[in-house]
Amino acid sequence: MTARGRSWLGIAGIIAIGLALSLVITERYHQRILTLVFLWAAMGLAWNIISGYAGQISFGHQAFFGIGAYVTVLLAAKLGITPWLGMLAGALVAVLAALLIGTPTFRLAGIYFGLATLAYPLIFRIVMDYLGYQEVAIPMVRDRPALFMQFTEPRSFDLLALALLAATLVLSRLIEGSRLGYSLRAIKENEQAALAMGVDAFRCKMAAYALSAAPAALAGAIYSHAILFVVTPEAVFGVLVIVQTLVVCLVGGVGTLWGPVIGAAIMIPVSEILDSTVGDRLPGIQGVVYGAALMVIMMFAPEGLFWRIGRGRASATAPAAVATAAAPIETDAEPAPTTKGAVVLEVRSVSKAFLGLQALTDVTFDVRDGEILGIIGPNGAGKTTLFNVLNGFLLPERGEIRWQGEPITGLSPHLVCRRGIGRTFQVVRFFPHLTVLENVMVGAFAHGGTPAAATARARDALTRVGLAERAAVTPSGLTTLDLRLMELARCLATAPRLVLLDEPLAGLSADGVEIMSAMIRRGRQAGVTVVIIEHTIQALVKIADRLVVLDQGRRLAEGLPGDVTRNPAVIEAYLGQRWLARHATAHAADLRP
Amino acid sequence: MRRLSRPLALLLAVLLLAPTAVVPTAALAAEDVKIALVVPLSGRWARQGQLKKMGAEMAIEEINSQGGIKALGSAKLVLREADAGDSVEKAVSAAQRVLTREKISAGIGSWLSSFTLGVTEVAERLQVPWLSLSYADNITERGFKYTFQTSPVSSVQAEQALDLVVDIGKKNNRPIKKAALVGDNTAATVFFFKPLREKLLAAKGIELVADEVWTPPLADATSIVQKLRATQPDIVFYGATNFPDSVQMLQKVKEFGVRTAIQGVGAWLVTPEYVKTIGKDTMDGIQTVVAAHPMKGQEELVKKFKQRTGEPFMTQDPLCTYAHVWLIKEAAEQAKSADPKAIRDAIAKIDLTTGPAASSLYPNRIKFDERGRRVGASPIIVQWQDAEPYTVVPTAVATRPIALHK
Amino acid sequence: MVASELAQYVVTGLLVGGVYALMSIGLALIFGVMRVVNFAQGDFMMLGMYLTYYYAIALNVDPLLGALFALPPFFVLGLLVHRAFLARVTGGGDPNREMDAQLILTLGLSLVITNATTMILSPMPRGINAPYASKAFALGPLLLNQARSYSFLMALLLAAAVYVLLTRTDLGRALRAAADDPEAAGYQGINVRAMHGIAFGIGIALVAAAGGLLATYHPIEPNVAVNFIVLMFVAVVLGGLGSIPGAFVGGLVIGLVQSLTLLLLPLQLQNVGVFVTFLIVLYVRPQGLFGRRARAV
Repeated sequence: MTARGRSWLGIAGIIAIGLALSLVITERYHQRILTLVFLWAAMGLAWNIISGYAGQISFGHQAFFGIGAYVTVLLAAKLGITPWLGMLAGALVAVLAALLIGTPTFRLAGIYFGLATLAYPLIFRIVMDYLGYQEVAIPMVRDRPALFMQFTEPRSFDLLALALLAATLVLSRLIEGSRLGYSLRAIKENEQAALAMGVDAFRCKMAAYALSAAPAALAGAIYSHAILFVVTPEAVFGVLVIVQTLVVCLVGGVGTLWGPVIGAAIMIPVSEILDSTVGDRLPGIQGVVYGAALMVIMMFAPEGLFWRIGRGRASATAPAAVATAAAPIETDAEPAPTTKGAVVLEVRSVSKAFLGLQALTDVTFDVRDGEILGIIGPNGAGKTTLFNVLNGFLLPERGEIRWQGEPITGLSPHLVCRRGIGRTFQVVRFFPHLTVLENVMVGAFAHGGTPAAATARARDALTRVGLAERAAVTPSGLTTLDLRLMELARCLATAPRLVLLDEPLAGLSADGVEIMSAMIRRGRQAGVTVVIIEHTIQALVKIADRLVVLDQGRRLAEGLPGDVTRNPAVIEAYLGQRWLARHATAHAADLRP
Repeated sequence: MRRLSRPLALLLAVLLLAPTAVVPTAALAAEDVKIALVVPLSGRWARQGQLKKMGAEMAIEEINSQGGIKALGSAKLVLREADAGDSVEKAVSAAQRVLTREKISAGIGSWLSSFTLGVTEVAERLQVPWLSLSYADNITERGFKYTFQTSPVSSVQAEQALDLVVDIGKKNNRPIKKAALVGDNTAATVFFFKPLREKLLAAKGIELVADEVWTPPLADATSIVQKLRATQPDIVFYGATNFPDSVQMLQKVKEFGVRTAIQGVGAWLVTPEYVKTIGKDTMDGIQTVVAAHPMKGQEELVKKFKQRTGEPFMTQDPLCTYAHVWLIKEAAEQAKSADPKAIRDAIAKIDLTTGPAASSLYPNRIKFDERGRRVGASPIIVQWQDAEPYTVVPTAVATRPIALHK
Repeated sequence: MVASELAQYVVTGLLVGGVYALMSIGLALIFGVMRVVNFAQGDFMMLGMYLTYYYAIALNVDPLLGALFALPPFFVLGLLVHRAFLARVTGGGDPNREMDAQLILTLGLSLVITNATTMILSPMPRGINAPYASKAFALGPLLLNQARSYSFLMALLLAAAVYVLLTRTDLGRALRAAADDPEAAGYQGINVRAMHGIAFGIGIALVAAAGGLLATYHPIEPNVAVNFIVLMFVAVVLGGLGSIPGAFVGGLVIGLVQSLTLLLLPLQLQNVGVFVTFLIVLYVRPQGLFGRRARAV
């Protein structure tokens, strides 16, 4: 059975167990515990969408929970609107709030995002008190209880909460398998690499935030009717809400469907059992034991019970590092193309400085269709900065970049990628918790399409670089060469017209250099223009058609490899004045910087 | 499938085992009459819950030592505490737990009005009569049949307290012309201040010169006290339910030498910790409106309470639960049944003017209207004198005469 | 507005901010060196308040001095807590993955401390009732609360001592090296794990001392932390995550903002001013007022 089928089966299993428990359990208090398990699992799953999949830890998710609760209850209490409609309104308001909060907040990265989200529910809470909504009791409607979500039969609340849990599970599963899901995980693992592969990180995060706000709001609405019967700012916007959510998710394990469900299924009953056994007799002891249990669990399973007990898929599928399955190399003694292609990329007077340090000064050159252009220069010459400017990571202070006649200066990296410029990184930036195939799929999604189509494109790209057999392992099991090949495949999967390869040969053995060079040439044969950075001239002269030499951020020389390596300025930059004086007539092939 | 089997098995096991782990406590002798007490016993409000428990335990011991409930063959009363913790969720869970696990005849709780609102909903659905000392009006505005409120509700308290205060001023030839509202925005204070601000003060021709309401915790009281110093009100209605805020406020009043009379709104201002924390001198003279406080004739009770608990004096929290337990006892006698519905009907019909329950509440009559509010319930004023709070108004039940503000 | 009135707002804000500042530098130190967000920080402050209280009650030690005497025992306590619990979920190389475990672990620790204290010492609030708590120094038209003024000076002294320790001693250099680049520090023979323990110990000791100073005018109860923990985090972020002088200034800024907000917003919305300032600083200058690091990517 496929992984995909298994997880649907798992969801069906959870729903079946939930239904069975709802039917079997008859005591009201136990039914209440069950409702709580379903609700907190749903809330955990909602949080997991933005914080688990996308890795954007939200410390303020109770903002949406509280909005759902307050909108629903206020509509019912003040306007007599049924909570069934009210909770939809609440979800809508929560989604709007997520978009409003997300717009400025997703400009922040990492922990700064989480800290900023912390402030919103704190503000909402104070404002609710200020507006006089200290305690909004839910008016009891005796004649049409079901219409106002006031069931006399507690089982109905179990089923309602279970329905929300089921819906959130399905939503999460759909996200997992979609382009958005792959993009989110790529963002979590390495945002820069994701951007370079055409992932619109900002929009993906916003989508995930909005999608996670809706179930959180619904959970808040149901929670207020099934559990609280009265809404107070502290009960729905308070710190305890996010604490419970974090406990459920982090104990269970983040980034998976099952984690929050496991966390809720364990921690909620544990807490209630403690309350009802020792807590009522020795008040306070339940908090001590519960706190100690949290500590022990985190020391035993720092990444959550699911990843510890299920050991996740990484260890289940990742074999030890295996030497590369040597890609079939035809020694293609292909002649360098003599035809000069049209200029596809024009770099004009590009300058970039960091804190007063001039990294690039007035760099100008062209890239022609179908050529392999090498960019060389000693360390610190500004090569990687140049790439970062070309693919949109950095905005140049001056200058212009035109791609196929259109200016792309200052375009976001993902848009540069989608226009057909792919890139790799000096230190391979891979997504460690995605399989090789999934790594490449992130690239394959650059131009949209279904997951099936992306899978096909990714497999094709892997086959082209000879990594098809490694598709199912995680990158941690790969050799340096395989990692570089995987990154190349990921880059090729974006269907680029031009690829920027940042030191693709670095750290490779002689054989590795051969294989990699063959791959690069083959890419060119397939119609892809190539720009390569290297700091060793030797490797580059063999594959490059032309060279551009950078030194201290300036273009020192440009031309055919033979000419460039004989250029005195280049030799001086590389080897210094004295060497030049002594070996004035030395042949360029001897250059070994 | 292997990957899923283990977590799923775990999930299944936990979900299946959880309910069985919540075993009911061993059943007691059948004739016992069980009273639930759902109050915060851990967390931020544990102190108040403990005080309430003291009062309930004392009443139960008295009743049982006097032969229990005679109409039920000298059945003993038993207290079942459940910890409401520090959230509405926990409070409602506690009520659900205690009411479903055993046959409970009546319940008491849950101190914080938001807790009471949630807990009474559970009691209403399970048809168990519930006694509350919370002030909030909305507790008995929902048409519940099983909820009984022995305290005067906030809106009534505000009106009557203002009458009492104005009266005291007139009698002492110090009429109140300017008043200030100073307090937090917790439900209890908000509901008290709202009618004062919106109509009551104006109706008495009193000018509201300062209206300073904060969200707890209060960072610093300086600006508030400066405003008091600048506006010189004749009286400050004061509602700082969060102890650290209140301490800070009173210290600041002393520091700035503000001499305005302080009229608290609630029993939070008469706990023993005030004297220990900021000293007798600061507290003496401060008055507060409460729903209940030991009155003239209850000296024996207070003495017994102090001996039992080591507390320096008795306040509203233990006194109310004491009265509630006695009230349940009387209702059980009249109903001749431990059945909660029968007890509810008995409470609804009851009209007590004597006995420990009636003599603990002012005025000394326990009768409920159709909403479940005690008929005629009115507040009393307590004043700190020599490091102890005494009932000073109404004079008929006062344990000490009021000391005039200097 | 009269100038003296405005000056009173500023002075009041600074005095309030002084103790926030001392509370926050411990948290900043722990975050700076260990990258740990310690949820239990406020609970150690509460314990510091109790210790100072018992010094005052049992040994008749003035709380201002008692706060200093709280430093050594809490340093040791910090070392022990680090060794027993935190060392297992820190220093494993990937701070992002470890953060989850640290959050829940310190949360659990906080629950244990608060509830155990409630059970053992009872929930009843206590107070030291220091005579200077309700007295003021008059400075022209300005009134400076004495307890807060003394606390402010002590906070300033302690913060300066920490600053000297971090910048002028070998231990301080080792701590900073461990903070900046644990791997490189390890190569230089610095025991990074030991540095974590020391940082945690100092961080806990500082917040306990802050608690002691707070106890001169603030009642002591097991749940006192909830009133301060959020402000501590805000101060640390305002100043720049991990920056010690930043956290100190961040604390002062919070006090000032709380005080000056009153000129613009109703008293009820006082802390809205703080949180909005917090958001503005984050959005405009995520590295904080004193942070050197660019945005953590």
